[in-house]
Amino acid sequence: MNLTRRGALLSAAAAAASTTLAACATGGGGDNEGAGKGDVSAENPLGVPADAGLEVVIFKGGYGDQYAIDAGTRLKEKHPKVAIDHKGIQGVGEVLQPRFVADSPPDVVDNSGAGRLDLATLVSAGKLKDLTELLDAPAVDDPGKKVRDTLMPGVIEDGTFDGKPLVLNYSSVLWGVWYSKSLFAKHGWTFPKTWEEMLTLNDEIKKAGLAPWTWQGKYPEYLNDPLLSMAAKAGGVEAVKAIDNLEAGAWQQPAVVAAAEAIHQLAVRGHILPGSEGLSHTEAQNAWCKGQVAFIPCGSWLEGEQQQVTPAGFDMVMATVPALTSSDKLPNGAVMAASSESFLVPAKAKNPQGGLEFLRYLFSKQVARGFAESAKALPVVTGATDGLTLTSGLGSVAEAVKAAGPNVFSYKFRTWYAPLSKAVDDATGELATKRINPQQWAERVQKAADAVAKDSSIVKHKR
Amino acid sequence: MRHGKYRFLVGALIVPLALYGVFVLSPYLQAFQLAFTNWNGVDSAPEFTGLDNFGRLWSDPLFLAGLRHNGLMLLVVPLAVIAIALALAAATKGTRVYRVVYFFPQLLSVAIIAVLWQFVYTPNSGLLNGALSAVGLDSWRRSWLAEPDLALWCVMIVLIWSSVGFYVVLFSAAMESVPEDIVEAAAIDGAGPVTVFRRITLPLIWESVQVGWIYLGIAALDGFALVQIMTVGPGGPDNSTEVMGLGLYRTAFAFGKFGYASAMGVAIFFLTLSIAVLLLRVTKRERVELA
Amino acid sequence: MRIKHAVLTLWAALVTLPLLWAFMSSFKTDAEIFDSPWTPPAELRFDNWSRAWDQASIGQYLLNTLIVVGGALALTMLLGALTAYCLARYEFPGNRFIYYLLVAGMLFPVFLALVPLFFVVDNLGLLGTYHGLILVYAAYALPFTVFFLHGFFRSLPGAVAEAAFIDGASHAGVFFKVMLPMARPGMVSVGIFNFLGLWNQYLLPKVLNPDPDHYVLAQGLAELAVSQGYRSDWSGLFAGLVIAILPVLLAYVFFQRQIRAGLTSGALK
Repeated sequence: MNLTRRGALLSAAAAAASTTLAACATGGGGDNEGAGKGDVSAENPLGVPADAGLEVVIFKGGYGDQYAIDAGTRLKEKHPKVAIDHKGIQGVGEVLQPRFVADSPPDVVDNSGAGRLDLATLVSAGKLKDLTELLDAPAVDDPGKKVRDTLMPGVIEDGTFDGKPLVLNYSSVLWGVWYSKSLFAKHGWTFPKTWEEMLTLNDEIKKAGLAPWTWQGKYPEYLNDPLLSMAAKAGGVEAVKAIDNLEAGAWQQPAVVAAAEAIHQLAVRGHILPGSEGLSHTEAQNAWCKGQVAFIPCGSWLEGEQQQVTPAGFDMVMATVPALTSSDKLPNGAVMAASSESFLVPAKAKNPQGGLEFLRYLFSKQVARGFAESAKALPVVTGATDGLTLTSGLGSVAEAVKAAGPNVFSYKFRTWYAPLSKAVDDATGELATKRINPQQWAERVQKAADAVAKDSSIVKHKR
Repeated sequence: MRHGKYRFLVGALIVPLALYGVFVLSPYLQAFQLAFTNWNGVDSAPEFTGLDNFGRLWSDPLFLAGLRHNGLMLLVVPLAVIAIALALAAATKGTRVYRVVYFFPQLLSVAIIAVLWQFVYTPNSGLLNGALSAVGLDSWRRSWLAEPDLALWCVMIVLIWSSVGFYVVLFSAAMESVPEDIVEAAAIDGAGPVTVFRRITLPLIWESVQVGWIYLGIAALDGFALVQIMTVGPGGPDNSTEVMGLGLYRTAFAFGKFGYASAMGVAIFFLTLSIAVLLLRVTKRERVELA
Repeated sequence: MRIKHAVLTLWAALVTLPLLWAFMSSFKTDAEIFDSPWTPPAELRFDNWSRAWDQASIGQYLLNTLIVVGGALALTMLLGALTAYCLARYEFPGNRFIYYLLVAGMLFPVFLALVPLFFVVDNLGLLGTYHGLILVYAAYALPFTVFFLHGFFRSLPGAVAEAAFIDGASHAGVFFKVMLPMARPGMVSVGIFNFLGLWNQYLLPKVLNPDPDHYVLAQGLAELAVSQGYRSDWSGLFAGLVIAILPVLLAYVFFQRQIRAGLTSGALK
């Protein structure tokens, strides 16, 4: 009897669920009584309610989540009654997607890592809170300054959509080519300035019994980074914009084809460690760390990722990709860079002021400094690494930032048009295994770009 | 008529059916509905787009590649597994320990299997290339999962490897229920072991084989987890291991097109359903009764 | 004869080698795994195991998994057997429809249903709870269980049940006292398969079980695998994998006779 009654209850629920089928996407809502705003004072500029809960969801990947725990600890010193619920997780998207749909999201999210939520989608669905209030609040370390004045140039722009700052990225990422300083010193090699020199040096490296290059073949996008960097350097900002704006023939510009040709030469001349096309990032990077290979392309996170397996005295450094030609449009120090670890406060957060306050502490100098030390990556807070003794890899990255000055570029098509991104990855994988030549590469990618441009179901962006 | 039959049936079925209806059917039905929208995954108001998504499927090169590869798997995997399992089941008659060991892969989750096999196939320190070198076949070394002509076959081998054990146990169990005296009588009449197997054993265990076809057919139309973890890209190199499930996953989670992905799911559902029904029809034989 | 045994041994080696290799690797350093994948470790590194155990809180996850899988298994077996029995032994309108509706549940990709499922579970207030996870697990294990046991119950002889009815037993009495005990071998087989499936279940807990304190083993392993991807801790990953495999392996070795018995006595007909 008892069982039957519960069954009836459940089937009633089923009926209820199925009548609101289409409403599944609008479900939830309603019960979203927020914690509201507490009193604003100099001590509490964002008006955090004294004893509300604060749910923090952090992507716990390569950088760990210690820095976010630190930020929570510091917030708690000021607001002892706030109950912080810290979650360091993987697969942020899978976990949070339904909560965003239901409008019952956490108060702060680090939307990063594989399987993060598509930012453009969140923005267009109006799921994010405007961060202007935070940017205009006084900085934790120096109340005379606004938070916006403590961040590296470009960071706020990176997270601004239609004039509204909605996302703040925490870490600055650069892409380049890595090598071991000690290995190069031993052989008397120096990092080449042009691609021509690179190919000459590669022949020399080969004679020394090493493989000149390897790459993370299982994930072909790793090899796209040097390819696209060279294309940008040779073709200038216009070439990058043409690609991002899906202009006709953008992928067949001479600079882009020449960059593909450069990468193709690595394969043609046998400069790539045999089998690289089947290696995961771990395997390729480990082969490189063991000194079997001279160069590997990667972003600035490599040192942190490899810290457990890097032999002492390896001294890895990142160099910017060599110039493609002698008449490149961008100077030699120009570098592909972007910021990552996207922090956001959901529009429907229960304690949005707490979320903003959390970010105020997160973007403080002290927490950022801890991030640089524990994660071996560059935070976007200016001066956070001043006076720190940087490891060789992080030091080289910091130097690259300085050397580049304003000559920093990045492609947007990866985040804007995921299908195009996949097509480029596939094509580059084929290029590096000599199954297609640079002309075919450019044709294929151009075709994919044209298909995206024609597809009315994909929202277009311009830069 | 025994009284209380319907009261018993209602009492017995209401809980499981309610559970199934609430947690399985209703989400599935919602997913079916989403197949007719342009839902992006987080938006609160998806737009109804009619049959648009389904129209798109037939001109989507990735989906068609997946369809082709799943089709090939459907031809190869069930046949190979059933042939190997039948042979091993017949050959292990009386040696139980083999059958216990053969079942091991069934115990592992797909994720674990995929990670293990990655180490088998990896080019420079992998077990397979190592084994080839050890027996002097250096020229056979390959980047197994990175060559478009080989990659899908490598995936199928893993699928076969992981499935055979279950069917060895299933078929050998069925073979044990074949009465000894029939086999002996046939042998006395001069039938060789192959004839006995074809004329007597196989017809008597045909129902198990038929169930095997269906399970394996469903498995061959999937393959998502193996491809996702093991292959280049994943789904590569150059889409040579693309399967429908992977395309669906990518469309939903990387491209943010949940409506379209749901349409793929619906298409896969009906495809699987028709293949299962077809297999049931094709493999149907008169049931052999041992009265 | 010799060839036959060579082939049988070869397959046995093909099946066991990767397992043994994973076991061996769980005692090696990362460098050893990559430099010399074939050779045994220079010394047994038990710290891989303790690292996997602590870092991934495998102990806690093991307990959570036992609670959830245990509860779900019991529920699945009871409800699955009841359903399969009713559908197999009683004629009533809608019988075939219900049967096919249930079996169709095996054919749809689960991850499409995840978001709607989240809302169903959330609306019932079951998100992140053990009993919520148990109910969902049981619901998703139902199709296979019913499919498997349906044939089994059909093949059972009817005479015993007839006799029990004549003795005045109720419908429920016949099921619990007569038919269920007769179906024991089939129950054990499907129980083992369900155990394996539930033990390795990953997608459902990922979405429905967001609280790290309630994580099940598969979630813990995934965490280990992801952090492995960033920190290159392969040895820790192998240790975690072996820890996850061992209970299942033991359960199988312990029950393998019953599985075979279950398959022999007429399942899948």
